[in-house]
Amino acid sequence: MNSWWFACRKLIGGIPLLFGVTLISFTLMVYFGPDLTYELLGKNPTATAIAEVRHSLGYDQPFWHRYLMYVQQLITLDFGLSMVKDQPVTELLQGAIPVSIQLLLPGFIIGNILAILLAMKAVQNRGKWPDKTIMTFSVIGMSVSFLVIIIGCQLIFSSSYGLDLFPVRGWQVHDKNEQFSWLAYLNYVTVPTIALVLISLGYNTRFYRAVLADEVNKDHINTARAFGHSDQKIYYQLLLKNTMVPIITRTLFSIPMVIISGSLLLESYFGIPGVGLITYEAIIAGDQPVLKAIVGLTAVLFVLVLIGAEILYRLFDPRMGATQK
Amino acid sequence: MINEPAHSRLNLSLWQQSRQHFMKDRWGILGLLIVVLYLLVVIGVWFGLWGTEWSAISDDFNQGPSLQHWFGTNAIGQDIAERGIYATQVAFEVGVVVTVFAIFLGLLIGALAGFFNDTWIDGVLLWLMGVIDAIPFYLLVAAVAFAMQGHAWAMHLAMIAVFWTTTARLIRAEVIKLKQLAFVEAATAIGFNPVHLLFRHIIPNTNHLIIIQATIVFISAIKTEVILSFLGLGIKEGISWGLMIAEATNDIQAGYFNNFLAASLLLFILVIGFNLFSDAIQDALDPKLQKNHEKK
Amino acid sequence: MADTKYLLYLSLLVLLLSGCQEQQNTPEKNTADTEKVYRHSIDGKPTSLDPIKASSVYSNLLVVNIFDTLYSYQYLARPFQLKPNLATTMPQISDDGLTYTISIKKGVKFHPHPAFKDGVGREIVAADFIYSIKRSFDPKNRASGAWLWQNKIIGLDDWKQAGADYDKDVEGLKSLDDHTIQISLLQPYPQLIYSLAMGFAAITPREVVESLGAEFGSKPIGSGPFILDQFNSEAAYLLRNPDFRQEPLDLTAEGYSAARHEGYGLEALADRSPPFLDRLEVHFINESSSRWQSFTKGSEIHYTTVPKDKQNTVLLRKDPIELHPKITSEYHHSYGMEAGFVYHGFNMADPVFGYHPDAAQNNKNKALRCAIRSAHDWQQKNRAFYFGLGTIFPGIIPPAVPEYDADLSTASIEKDLMAAKKMLADNGWQTQNLPEFEYHVTGSVLQKQFFEQMRGFLNQVGYPNQKIKYHPYPSFGNFNQAIKNREAPFFFLGWTLDYPDAENTLQLFYGPNQTPGSNNFNYQNPAFDALFEQSSTMLPSAQRTALYRQMNQMVIDDCVVISGLSRKKIHLWHKNIITFPDREIVGGFHLRFVDVQ
Repeated sequence: MNSWWFACRKLIGGIPLLFGVTLISFTLMVYFGPDLTYELLGKNPTATAIAEVRHSLGYDQPFWHRYLMYVQQLITLDFGLSMVKDQPVTELLQGAIPVSIQLLLPGFIIGNILAILLAMKAVQNRGKWPDKTIMTFSVIGMSVSFLVIIIGCQLIFSSSYGLDLFPVRGWQVHDKNEQFSWLAYLNYVTVPTIALVLISLGYNTRFYRAVLADEVNKDHINTARAFGHSDQKIYYQLLLKNTMVPIITRTLFSIPMVIISGSLLLESYFGIPGVGLITYEAIIAGDQPVLKAIVGLTAVLFVLVLIGAEILYRLFDPRMGATQK
Repeated sequence: MINEPAHSRLNLSLWQQSRQHFMKDRWGILGLLIVVLYLLVVIGVWFGLWGTEWSAISDDFNQGPSLQHWFGTNAIGQDIAERGIYATQVAFEVGVVVTVFAIFLGLLIGALAGFFNDTWIDGVLLWLMGVIDAIPFYLLVAAVAFAMQGHAWAMHLAMIAVFWTTTARLIRAEVIKLKQLAFVEAATAIGFNPVHLLFRHIIPNTNHLIIIQATIVFISAIKTEVILSFLGLGIKEGISWGLMIAEATNDIQAGYFNNFLAASLLLFILVIGFNLFSDAIQDALDPKLQKNHEKK
Repeated sequence: MADTKYLLYLSLLVLLLSGCQEQQNTPEKNTADTEKVYRHSIDGKPTSLDPIKASSVYSNLLVVNIFDTLYSYQYLARPFQLKPNLATTMPQISDDGLTYTISIKKGVKFHPHPAFKDGVGREIVAADFIYSIKRSFDPKNRASGAWLWQNKIIGLDDWKQAGADYDKDVEGLKSLDDHTIQISLLQPYPQLIYSLAMGFAAITPREVVESLGAEFGSKPIGSGPFILDQFNSEAAYLLRNPDFRQEPLDLTAEGYSAARHEGYGLEALADRSPPFLDRLEVHFINESSSRWQSFTKGSEIHYTTVPKDKQNTVLLRKDPIELHPKITSEYHHSYGMEAGFVYHGFNMADPVFGYHPDAAQNNKNKALRCAIRSAHDWQQKNRAFYFGLGTIFPGIIPPAVPEYDADLSTASIEKDLMAAKKMLADNGWQTQNLPEFEYHVTGSVLQKQFFEQMRGFLNQVGYPNQKIKYHPYPSFGNFNQAIKNREAPFFFLGWTLDYPDAENTLQLFYGPNQTPGSNNFNYQNPAFDALFEQSSTMLPSAQRTALYRQMNQMVIDDCVVISGLSRKKIHLWHKNIITFPDREIVGGFHLRFVDVQ
């Protein structure tokens, strides 16, 4: 079957998904979402003042009218101005999304690779002390609060009470000529990355160990062993290849989260103007234009990831694709 | 690629074997003991045997551990040990309720979707999962909690609504894989009832994934509760480890670690115990591993 | 073998990281040599920077630095004293108190913007002020400051009714010539002049506002000492306005006194024209640990208030306040009481705790409120949450205003369990018939602790746990909505003064201001209202102060609030910075006087 045709079909299949996401999220936001009116009111408001604010926020429009406006905004990628900050939403996100990607990507990649390596080590020594040690540490990682990890990392690596190696806050990754500076970037991204890896490592290791442990008992691995293939080859080639499906599923589906939701806590503790903070503030303040943009963009991205996953499945597991015909 | 044959998966004495295997696993027994101990604590709180003084305030702020206050007191003079114990019940309630419902929902929907792969049923279910997954996690949880404003179960429901999809996707993928295995293909060929096949033979073969997913959901539920409580969308009455840790983030910077240590330790021991227990079950339920052990 | 490889990778990584560390410090030093940069920090985030929406202290702080107001407060004088800012002198007020004539400085220019002719900022004229005030009354604008001038200025409310057409004149707002403004009032309004020092009354250029639309709020153009360069969710970066008017600093006129201000290096600023900085950065840092570490780092933010969780490392003694020598040797410090207070309030429109049509029940409810007030322990709350530094005072006239009465009876802020229990028993309240007590608040860990302490206080007079409910809201907006819709029978709030006049807190109890107005208590007392109306047109005088205190006593006697406590803030800043920071009453005017040594 033609992969392009397959991708096209999947893309068309994504339309109902987009419809569902926008409708459900919109309904939740319209009817139950935070009401901005009372955030914007002055100190001694009158009933007319309230009505005026509601009108200017568009709260008095009928549901379908507002929903269609939203769809139109999604198509034109023009979400208007943030209600709270008076800034065009596109401008707001254009500034913040690259920052979040730069912030989270290294930690995301290192966190996943490290977890797979650790899981591999654990599975190779299943039931023995390296396995138990790795798993105990992964549980510790899972039970320590994110906040404490972040505060701890900041204290140890950045503050003058600790090693004093990196900046506590900030994100000046461009030099004076507005050029991206790798050195400055490394300087600012290192500690958040360490924190992010520590936060995710426990969860990831545990997950990958389970997946790998399941695979390692399968007969073809034993067969390969019987044929005298080296352990390294078995673990790093056969095993990895066969566990690609769950690994890809997990990695791919965290991507929209990484890009759009960002990481609120990292951003607010390290003073990084990413999209996590913007999302959080929009939720708390009921800044609907921003919420709409974020929800809409996540939906689009998610559909793309979904299609990407289906295509990759076909590459790694031909049998899965075979039934698609 | 080599496909594994289907033998030993349909072994009828599987559960007996598993139990024997489990009883030999010392770590697993330890895990079970820990979980049972916590359960006893929870039952005790239920019957009002302990943890009754969790809300009493006093003038002794931020006291260190003493005979009177085992874990010291917090910023408004409450006994941390009492609160930790009382919170165990809350954590269990949140964790268990969310895990049971989310896993059940995920299992059911994932199995259905996987089994009816490439039919409209799969399409609709995938659509539903897609819709839920595509909305940023905290936004969805916040929205559901907002929507049910004031309701005591709003947080539980919000978490269940979000957590089931991962399980469902994993189960779906696994079921699709299993469906293509020789034994299922053969069974369908000779006219086995597909629903019977699904519930008797395919779903039981996914239990290793379910157990792992359950531990992850259990821990995630307890930890998500921290953040939701932080936002004012979580536990309203009473106290939870989440709230204690959140309280503690203020205390830590002032140099008071009691609250943080007590809540984290309680959480940690439970998680360790739960994981040891679930690992042991996983090993016990894994027929391949049993065979390997026998070989040794 | 494999282990050696890992070791190699690890050392490479360390090398790489340490390499970039050395590199990083150099550019920072270069900038420090050439320009003066001051990094301020605040504990919240500003929203829109449009002056008419500057309702939070955070927005206000930036607004008064980007824009000009007619009046501002003297840099160092306490209690707060107004001074002319864009105006040349204090206003000329007619004898009947109805007409204010204000002349503004000549030659003051707006920041450059393409909407101006040739992109060069044009001169501010009287019409700009009138336009700026009108904007608050344009329903399209979602302004939050209109309450200051509602039913006060002749013709302004009618202008709004008639469709808010900026080309139509308002009778009470006239420009006599390009540099003279005349404001005509419906009735005397002594607080008008204070309102002209608030961010809400800052002057905006019409052509820029019209070319940008609502986007003006994120790309503000004014005439203040700083120009906004960049603004994101973490910080605002401002540049010096090179064309800012030359006004040499007169320390004596700004209220300098050697006793309070010596040792900060302020003397070096005398006779120099602000702003002294090339770049002003304002960092928005909610997390106190992050703020503290950034401050103590040395190369990051220069200023912080001491967060609650650091008070025990910073403070050596509380009364009188003495700081740890380690802190005083490294940093400058000052401290001051907030111009505002925190309080618990009852919603009097709620028949369970408030007014009841049945007179007997009404008395019973009042006894219940008074008993709850007597059960409340301000001292314990002060120690648990404000490090014992707060100032507890009875009633609703806080120590920050001149009308404060230091001799007022403290009975209403003393914990008295016996009296509370007796009051309950005498009025027929028993554990069984006590109504359910709902505590409404914006949800947060800290607020939950406040609630838990309150619950503890109530327990002590026999209120059982299951009758005390915590009712958190996910955002302040939702909480505020519940209050405005009278859904919150009991709430915990803070009030920040807009100007140093007790009228600002007394109006919270004025009957016609009931919700959705500012009277969240829905307090209705004709005697109070009469006094309020009488005093509202009076200029400050002993007579007016007497009326204020009479109103204060009524609120205390009716047990409407459990009030109050004014928090104390300790400011710290690096030794190379010359400043005297203050965030109270339209905070932010001090930033133009900051200098870096």
